[in-house]
Amino acid sequence: MTEPTTGPAPFADATQVSGTGDVVIELEGVDKLFGDFQALRGIDLRIARQEVVVVIGPSGSGKSTLIRCINRLEKHDAGRIVVGGVELSDDIRSIQGVRRETGMVFQSFNLFPHLTVLDNITLAPRQVRRMPRAKAEAEAMELLERVQIPEQAHKHPGQLSGGQQQRVAIARALAMHPQVMLFDEPTSALDPEMINEVLDVMKELARDGMTMMVVTHEMGFAREVADRVVFMADGEIVEVGTPEHFFTAPTEERTKKFLSQIL
Amino acid sequence: MTAVTWARANLFRDRRDAITTVVAGAVVGWVVFRLLRFAIVTGRWDVVRDNLSLFLVGRYPVDDQWRVVVALVAIAGVAGLVAGQIAGRRRRAAEAAGERLEHPGPAARIVEVVARDWPILGLVLLLLLLARTASPWLVALATIGAALLGRLVGALVPPAIGRAVFVLPVVLPIVLLPFLTGPLGWDSWGGLMLTLLLASISMIACFPLGMLLALGRRSSFPALRAVSVGVVEFFRGVPLVVLVLMSDVALGFFFPRDLLPGKVVRVMVAFTIFTAAYVAEIIRGGLQSVPRGQTEAAQAIGLSPVRVTGFIVLPQALRNVIPALVGQFISLFKDTTLVFIIGFLEVLTVADAVTKQPGYRGQGLITETLVFAALLFWVGSYTLSRESQRLERRLGVGHR
Amino acid sequence: MLAAVAALALWLAGNVRANARATNIPLSYDYLDQPAGFPIAGSSFRQTQSTWDAIVVGLGNTVRVSLAGIVLATIIGTFVGIGRLSANWLVSKAAQVYVELFRNIPLLVIIVFTYLAVFLRLPRVEDATTIDGLLVMSVRGVAVPWLRTDGRGLTVLALLVAAAVVAYAVARWRHGVADRTGQPAYAGVAATGAAVVVFAVGLVALGGPLDLTAPRLDDRRIAGGITMGIEYAALLSALVVYTASHIAEIVRGSIQAVPKGQTEAATALALSPGQRMRRVILPQALRVATPALGNQYLNLTKNSSLAVAISYFELTKITQVAIASRAPAVPSYGLLLLIYLVLSLVISAFTNAVNRRMALVER
Repeated sequence: MTEPTTGPAPFADATQVSGTGDVVIELEGVDKLFGDFQALRGIDLRIARQEVVVVIGPSGSGKSTLIRCINRLEKHDAGRIVVGGVELSDDIRSIQGVRRETGMVFQSFNLFPHLTVLDNITLAPRQVRRMPRAKAEAEAMELLERVQIPEQAHKHPGQLSGGQQQRVAIARALAMHPQVMLFDEPTSALDPEMINEVLDVMKELARDGMTMMVVTHEMGFAREVADRVVFMADGEIVEVGTPEHFFTAPTEERTKKFLSQIL
Repeated sequence: MTAVTWARANLFRDRRDAITTVVAGAVVGWVVFRLLRFAIVTGRWDVVRDNLSLFLVGRYPVDDQWRVVVALVAIAGVAGLVAGQIAGRRRRAAEAAGERLEHPGPAARIVEVVARDWPILGLVLLLLLLARTASPWLVALATIGAALLGRLVGALVPPAIGRAVFVLPVVLPIVLLPFLTGPLGWDSWGGLMLTLLLASISMIACFPLGMLLALGRRSSFPALRAVSVGVVEFFRGVPLVVLVLMSDVALGFFFPRDLLPGKVVRVMVAFTIFTAAYVAEIIRGGLQSVPRGQTEAAQAIGLSPVRVTGFIVLPQALRNVIPALVGQFISLFKDTTLVFIIGFLEVLTVADAVTKQPGYRGQGLITETLVFAALLFWVGSYTLSRESQRLERRLGVGHR
Repeated sequence: MLAAVAALALWLAGNVRANARATNIPLSYDYLDQPAGFPIAGSSFRQTQSTWDAIVVGLGNTVRVSLAGIVLATIIGTFVGIGRLSANWLVSKAAQVYVELFRNIPLLVIIVFTYLAVFLRLPRVEDATTIDGLLVMSVRGVAVPWLRTDGRGLTVLALLVAAAVVAYAVARWRHGVADRTGQPAYAGVAATGAAVVVFAVGLVALGGPLDLTAPRLDDRRIAGGITMGIEYAALLSALVVYTASHIAEIVRGSIQAVPKGQTEAATALALSPGQRMRRVILPQALRVATPALGNQYLNLTKNSSLAVAISYFELTKITQVAIASRAPAVPSYGLLLLIYLVLSLVISAFTNAVNRRMALVER
């Protein structure tokens, strides 16, 4: 988290990181095509350790595609993506390595309905990191405490509210001790009264120093928590800045237009 | 994408995939080779060729076969009219909404139809090629002509009069039935014609009973509900073949001696009741799929319960389950082969009987005839399924 | 409307009674105790045994072919269904052709074909097709190796039970180890291995009470092994091929019905494709598929009655033969319908129970 700054945009482009940590995610010249439609155009982006980067933009701008390329849920067609020092290629081992170090939280939670909350969280650590059950469950309970719903441990996702489910989803992603947490519109599918409980958890996470990349429409969150705000439109990064700069004095036309529509 | 890149992506992605492709390719190749060899080289298809009319219309007297031709043309014409009317309405609706519909040229249209309906077109072509005389070609031309003409006229007729067009598919069977039966009674039917007639008549006749059972199951009288549930579950729990056997032997016991219906009627009763039980379940599902809000709104404007069901709920329910009903008809179409067991001259019986004819006895030609019979059914069933899926998409079941 | 239904029922009953009196055929079930008067091929049933015994034999045959059919069709159908979703174009297309082919051909056609055009074409016993010690195929039947005990059948059974218990214990132990250390359990492999070892050791210790007999062509007889009648083989093959195509569609549909988000979440958690399938997709797919699978099993059981076309002596065929041997038609068919109803109810109840147990827990 940085102090407020004034003056011209402190980030000339998205490859300049805030803070002093080493670079965790690097995208260079990334393109993505769906048939004839170009979803991503020449994306250059760097994210450093402990940075919180919020990506905003109109629908269809490619934000979701971008974040899904990072853990290879989508395959990029050109350019390089390097996560935690490992370059994403067709080699399945590199992909699995990247997926182990990234945690993802989805808009529609995607909890496993046939497993209890506890089993949802411990599934990956036990299967992938070969953790013994007792240890996995103890850590899972700690995570549930952290997201403030330890009493739900033995319920099934179908018995929980949306906000509770999303918090479990966050705990599930954290259980793998990832280096980076990726959030794809985590609150867009929630009823208004439940959005805050999830945002509070995400703010805690940021305060504790997690590297986060968040695609969202929640401008309040961006203003409060983000180190950098990235604005995307038509598949490219249009503008980057600190929240203060961004919301008070954006430079690009498209940015101004978008902000005027939503603020 | 070139052929090589396609093969790389779909057949040889990695080492295990490549091995799979090679092994599967060997097996599939062998099967295809044997099949083609049978179809083109070693199969003796003259047994089918010589008995083509037996397969298609059984022992229907030759002098009366013009009736079949007239029926075919009439059905084609009505089908064309209905299709044209539907297409015309869609076009008018689209124009009214300001959308632009594409008008593909005739060449593109033909390609589209061939790609879609290649099984039935292929079968008709095969049958024409197998036939020895020229008259089948004329019949085919007449049928296609009637269908095209109907389509044209149907599209041009304005919706106001067009409503009458939709009555035709219901009226036509009622008219065709006595027409086809002619002076010889129902025992003259056979072959594919018998299959289609049995299936169609049972499907249409089962509707009243099916609807009664579905409505009875939802009624507030517990006795009525119990009877409906009992009847439906009973006929869904027993094999159709037993009912068919019973219709031959035991059904006669349920009727007074002098009123005993003929064999064909008895078996149709069995099919009808059996299908009615399944249709009842389908309609029940349809009734449940109509949102409660519809009933409530109808009651709120003061319609009586009977009118609510009849005018508001039932029509929507039926529209929603048209694909399921077509599916049931397809099953019925295949199930009519069961009358083979009680000696009716339908397609399977013909396939068996012709191998015992003097010129063909004892030569193991049952393979050829059975393959032909299977082909007839496969084309019919596959085409109906495909059209049902298209219908489902067109109706946007679940939308509106 | 109720009155109309009641009136109809009374009229029908009246007709039945009148007809029964006129034709002098009794409506009672006494005939069940009478001697059957017909033999049943392929079994040890004698003509002098009662009709009821014949029906029991028929029921046994129905159950035999239905159970075997259900098991085989499920295995084959599952493979084809998963193959349909394969990324390999050839496998996927082949599965598609198989399904589209057999779903659209009437079952009776398939049955008649396998009987007349396949199994009846098998060579005579003298010229039987043999694979040394494994298979003897002829018009007499299909003979495969079978086990035979020397009278200590119960002991062998006890040994089997012991092996099963050991397998269960080993599986529990391996799961416990996996929980403690996090390493994969391999419970299936370990349990099977242990069971086999226990069984083999037990057999040796008992002095070999179990004997594997291989079928041999001995002059004009088949010695050893067990012979499956061709009617049974034809009916079973047809039922399996037909039902498997339906099951394949159900399996495919149920796997595709699992929301894409589930696969994505499992992928994002770095689970391998095998782990994804086993722990996330298949459990959910199975829940969706259960009612439809139960329906297919019900259909297969009812379809076994088509055996009337090829002389396999299951329930319906035996009833038909009994009626030809002078059993009264209406009560016979009544009994037949009742038995099928009971079978249907049993299978439905079983399916519903499984469905309820597996239902996803919701609010």
